[in-house]
Amino acid sequence: MNTTTLRRNATNVAVPLVFGVIVLVAWQRFVEWRKIKPFILPTPSTIWHEAVDKVNLLRAASFVTGENAIVGLLLGIIVGTVVAMIANRFRVLSELITPLAAAISAVPIVVIVSILNNMFPLGSQVARRLMVTIIVFFVVFVNVARGLRQSDPTQVELMRSYAASERDVMRKVRLPNAMPFLFTAIKIAAPISVTTAFVSEYFGGTQDGLGQKIASSMSSSKFPLGWAYVGAACLVGLIFFAAANILEFLAVPWQRRRDSR
Amino acid sequence: MSDVQTPTAIAASAVPIPAVAAESVGKSFNPGTRKQVDALVDVSLTIRPGEFVSLIGPSGCGKSTLLRVVADLLQPTSGTLLVNGKSAKQARLDQDYGMAFQQAGLFEWRNVARNIELPLEIRGWDAARRHARSKEMLELVKLPDFANHMPWQLSGGMQQRIAIARALAANPPLLLMDEPFGALDEMTREHMQAELLSICAATGTTVVFVTHSIPEAVYLSDRVVVMSPRPGRITSIIDVALGDARNDDTREASEFYRKITEVREALRGADHAGRSATTGARGIEDR
Ligand SMILES: Nc1ncnc2c1ncn2[C@@H]1O[C@H](COP(=O)(O)OP(=O)(O)O)[C@@H](O)[C@H]1O
Ligand SMILES: [Mg+2]
Repeated sequence: MNTTTLRRNATNVAVPLVFGVIVLVAWQRFVEWRKIKPFILPTPSTIWHEAVDKVNLLRAASFVTGENAIVGLLLGIIVGTVVAMIANRFRVLSELITPLAAAISAVPIVVIVSILNNMFPLGSQVARRLMVTIIVFFVVFVNVARGLRQSDPTQVELMRSYAASERDVMRKVRLPNAMPFLFTAIKIAAPISVTTAFVSEYFGGTQDGLGQKIASSMSSSKFPLGWAYVGAACLVGLIFFAAANILEFLAVPWQRRRDSR
Repeated sequence: MSDVQTPTAIAASAVPIPAVAAESVGKSFNPGTRKQVDALVDVSLTIRPGEFVSLIGPSGCGKSTLLRVVADLLQPTSGTLLVNGKSAKQARLDQDYGMAFQQAGLFEWRNVARNIELPLEIRGWDAARRHARSKEMLELVKLPDFANHMPWQLSGGMQQRIAIARALAANPPLLLMDEPFGALDEMTREHMQAELLSICAATGTTVVFVTHSIPEAVYLSDRVVVMSPRPGRITSIIDVALGDARNDDTREASEFYRKITEVREALRGADHAGRSATTGARGIEDR
């Protein structure tokens, strides 16, 4: 890594950090100055103290939501990639899936979650995980399918000149070419998987995830705790996002190279 | 050659099997529709083993199409074509040729050695044999220390040399090149031309070389095939053969300039034969 990329990375971290601090300070001052009631908006310091106090509760709920998100994320990535590969070989399939994808994404999550909740026994996390899987699947499918299609024609032609099998073309050209697209999809899908898990929890099912905890804290007037749960949800989303970025950085070094040109 | 040959005389004369034998080959894209393009019409060309033949002509005259037909990446719509005495398809399946394009087309996620080894991998060579071969090829293209470099760490000229090494890795008797030096600067280009000649001299490879540079064609070739567009056809074939001892002085020799003039005039004639008589031979470089 050279100094320019180092400097750019430092700027990438510093700018949102400074901005975040400014927002927090402004929030604190504003609430104190206007004497806003805690049930409307507590101060960041109250929320922080509550979070430190109830850190075990926050951790437990975060793990439940995090696990729902990661299981759905991994399933969605695997299924999305495999289906994209099959669709690349059989044109008919991709013509079937694309309108289906459009139709399903037009259905609100509430509806799908309610349907799924009815399919599985009470206390099961399966419905939430399936909901995450569905959302992640489409993001991954669309991107990977594009990556497989956009392989360098020179490379594909070379493979044909070597009399390579379709399987070799897929393994040695199309898949590696689709890797940057896959990781772009994962970067988009990772934070979405957390919000989807979180929203799915909110609409019924077991009471142990962040989505339910926020709802129940707020309705029992534990506002600072509710906000602490919101903060935990943000943190889980950030961790997922960061992990996806680090993964991309490690997995497709040639893409890193392309970007820095 | 005598006029009358008995079957025994034919066998005894041991005419080598042509590297490429095209008989009235035609290729139309979208035949029978309004978008029909006759990219090749009645192309007949025989290339001897070990010969270096250039295809030259303005953009869109069908040079790449002819090369792809020979490579069995496109099927001709008429005529017959034999590569190494076999159908083009069989020659492709047997990896009888290597190919290089204007874009080096290296695989970004593979290091240099593994790029060169790719065709061998597809052939099912074992790892030890592949390594030995890629090492040998890197010596041949004078980049022995770059086995573990990644493609993006190489200059354009170096990438193109790796692409040539890859094309020659399986030791094919025929090398098909589509404007391989088109994207290189003039200095690198002349250097690469000399290098290609020495590689061919060392390996005895037959080369079909597409270019739009007249000096490049003349410098490299035994014969220059001049093509004209719409429809793409061969208008003349010029013997060049500046000899085996070509070097930088060759580029200054009067024979070199005489041949350049001859090719240029053939191209003009070709253009007059075509429909766009007034526009001149577009896309041809005199440099
Ligand atoms: N896949 C294709 N479909 C339709 N027309 C094509 C296709 N490939 C080439 N052509 C046409 O065939 C002609 C010859 O093309 P090409 O062989 O690429 O020319 P050159 O390599 O000499 O510049 C051009 O008119 C081009 O537009
Ligand atoms: Mg061309």
